[in-house]
Amino acid sequence: MAERRPSGINSRRPSVIPYLAGIEKPVLPSIPSQCDVLICGTGLVESILAAALAWQGSRVLHVDANPYYGDTCATLTIEQIKAWCASVNDGSSGFQGFSKAMLHIPYPHRLNSRDYGIDLSPRVLFAKSDLLSLLINSRVYRYLEFQSLSNFHTFENDTFGKMLSTKEEIFTDQSMTLASKRQLMKMMKFVLEYDLPENKEELETHMHEPFTDYVSNRFHLSSQQINELCYALGLAPKPDISTIQGLSRVRRYLVSFNIYGNFPTLYSKYGGPGEISQGFCRSAAVAGATYKLDCALKSFDPDTKTATFEDGSKVKISEKVVCSPSQAPEGSRNVPERNYEITRLITIVEKSCKEWFAEGESAALVVFPPKSLPSNNQFPVQSIIMGSGTGCCPKDQCVWYLSTIEQGERGRRDLESALKKMEESILRESEDGGFDVELTESDVAVQANGGISVINSVKLGKSFKGFVPKEKLTYLLKLMFTQYTSVAPFGVVSNAVFEKAEENDHPGNGPDLKVIYSSMPSTEISYDGVVTEARLLYSKIVGSDDDFFDVDFEDDEDYEHGPSSESAIVDDAEEFQPEMAFEL
Amino acid sequence: MSSSLGSEHRFAQFKLVLLGESAVGKSSIVQRFVKDSFSDFRESTIGAAFLTQTVDLDANTTVKFEIWDTAGQERYRSLASIYYRNAQAALVVYDITQESSLDKAKYWIKELQKQARGGIIIALVGNKTDLEQERKVSSEEAESFAKGLGLLYFEVSAKSGTGVRECFKQIALKMPIEDSLRKRRERKSRTVDLNKRPSTNEQQCAC
Repeated sequence: MAERRPSGINSRRPSVIPYLAGIEKPVLPSIPSQCDVLICGTGLVESILAAALAWQGSRVLHVDANPYYGDTCATLTIEQIKAWCASVNDGSSGFQGFSKAMLHIPYPHRLNSRDYGIDLSPRVLFAKSDLLSLLINSRVYRYLEFQSLSNFHTFENDTFGKMLSTKEEIFTDQSMTLASKRQLMKMMKFVLEYDLPENKEELETHMHEPFTDYVSNRFHLSSQQINELCYALGLAPKPDISTIQGLSRVRRYLVSFNIYGNFPTLYSKYGGPGEISQGFCRSAAVAGATYKLDCALKSFDPDTKTATFEDGSKVKISEKVVCSPSQAPEGSRNVPERNYEITRLITIVEKSCKEWFAEGESAALVVFPPKSLPSNNQFPVQSIIMGSGTGCCPKDQCVWYLSTIEQGERGRRDLESALKKMEESILRESEDGGFDVELTESDVAVQANGGISVINSVKLGKSFKGFVPKEKLTYLLKLMFTQYTSVAPFGVVSNAVFEKAEENDHPGNGPDLKVIYSSMPSTEISYDGVVTEARLLYSKIVGSDDDFFDVDFEDDEDYEHGPSSESAIVDDAEEFQPEMAFEL
Repeated sequence: MSSSLGSEHRFAQFKLVLLGESAVGKSSIVQRFVKDSFSDFRESTIGAAFLTQTVDLDANTTVKFEIWDTAGQERYRSLASIYYRNAQAALVVYDITQESSLDKAKYWIKELQKQARGGIIIALVGNKTDLEQERKVSSEEAESFAKGLGLLYFEVSAKSGTGVRECFKQIALKMPIEDSLRKRRERKSRTVDLNKRPSTNEQQCAC
């Protein structure tokens, strides 16, 4: 395990501090001999759980087998990514839950490892969501920086379109007929009101039929509009969603608008779940939890209630052991089935990609609905674009995170296909200026031939089939891998997952008897489901979730800005709880 | 920003991190600086986030420190990268009555070298000068070590308060105030303060 230490020492060094040679790593004190709850893995769910338990008063020992925080949703430097891939591929026990990591770094000398923060499972945060309320309530948001993300692009007919999501945009759009505008407005109104008593009957009649059928029959929307609702606004990871799933997902988007401004989502700067995990771990530490990295669980003996770590140290546990499947002890037998796959493709490109971002922003989403790609994709491909302004990469570069729940070779092909489309698009859009000049000189024949000017069609963004880019896009890193999870796409985690271990216990079998396993990160591209899972685990340990993060920071003198609106957000969390669990 | 000639008040905020072994008095120094108090029994909790304190450099300049304590995460060398992120100053604390604590301070300086950004101002601080009779680390030794590395060097007593304010003031004088003011102006529109919502009466106007 020691080989996995990142070798970031060689990179950028503060000029003021000369190199100090010959300082041995100090001998660490031994871990505490007792705790109430041992948590293995510092992923986001485990970190929220640790903080909730610590503030509730439990003595928490929180360890991670890796030398960094975040576990399965860590934010990694380039050197850490390299080491991570090696570990995934040699199947070492710390990385259960990933496979087939393929890494390509064509110009190693151009990547300064510590300039990058690459997320293993990137996510976006809806402005009205349980995690956001928790970030405020727990004050963890103060450790982090958040930025807005407004642009949700949909790829359709070889074109990227930006979804019309506000009243103003719909009214001013030239391409829609008045009738179709009215239908879209009606649809959005229904989305916000479907749970009112007067809509109850209609909802119950239709809630289990396909969303696409319902929307097209009831509101006569075009298939392109339906795709945008499902896959861009709704960020559905699969086709054939039910009406209730579709409605709750579109609503999630609409109610998040204008909470903080004219955008529905945010992201944390410098890295997503990896950063937020660290924030909750710090909060847990402030509340008294003990932290130790580079510490792998070897076994747990439920009879003596003793956990043993790889380094030989032991700790008595009075309550429970919670473990991420990624940190299950070698020879474990009770890890829940991980039946679902997410295929991810992460690239760093040498382009700012600012053409895709809204004014003043540094990130965007691009969604490829089913069957929109040359690979005839059965599932959507979702993609988060993170520019240098997100703090994840240097200037004039950009990180693209593509993912799909399509499995195996097909999944990889869909991602490559989507990547190609993104490459074509960004080259075309970023070349617009120079392209015009070149065309006016050399494309007289084309213009004489056809009635429609090539320049105009490019500018209107209607097609770029004939576009031949002057330059090639430079990829600085390409990483593809498969992640497994026990959370069904679109579902929320169920209590049964945690109970499985206990039900199947066979005394004397395996080093993980009575260990409660968390799930691996879900296929969901937002943070929804994360707090739900942490709450479920919390209830399982404490008996109920009544006092989950029931923290009173009134005496925190430092908290000086406390505006009256804070309580409003906390209240909203209660109010909107049911819809966040979007499997109704 | 309207500025009548020369009278514009300059206010800049900087993140300062504490480092050093457990029980050398990191929290006590901050406690003394922020609240001007001292407790023989260490308070385990310093609030949910971090403490802040301002230093007035002159009539027109105020520096505010956002002070991050280790929250115990230093014990097993498990400080998170968010701890070091954007830190512009660091207080590396040792105990003048414990020879080994200076060696361990060297470990933390090395750690800063790996994790913190370039240009960070580091102060090596010997605590517990109130226990002069038990001193094991001479001022000369520590100072020459600090000077050799280009670090600031102070000796303080969190218990009596001696030297604490001066230490923070000297660090404040080293902070890149103009740089920070410019950066904040540039960044303002891009960061969302989750605790500041615009008026709440029009929440659902997307429909």
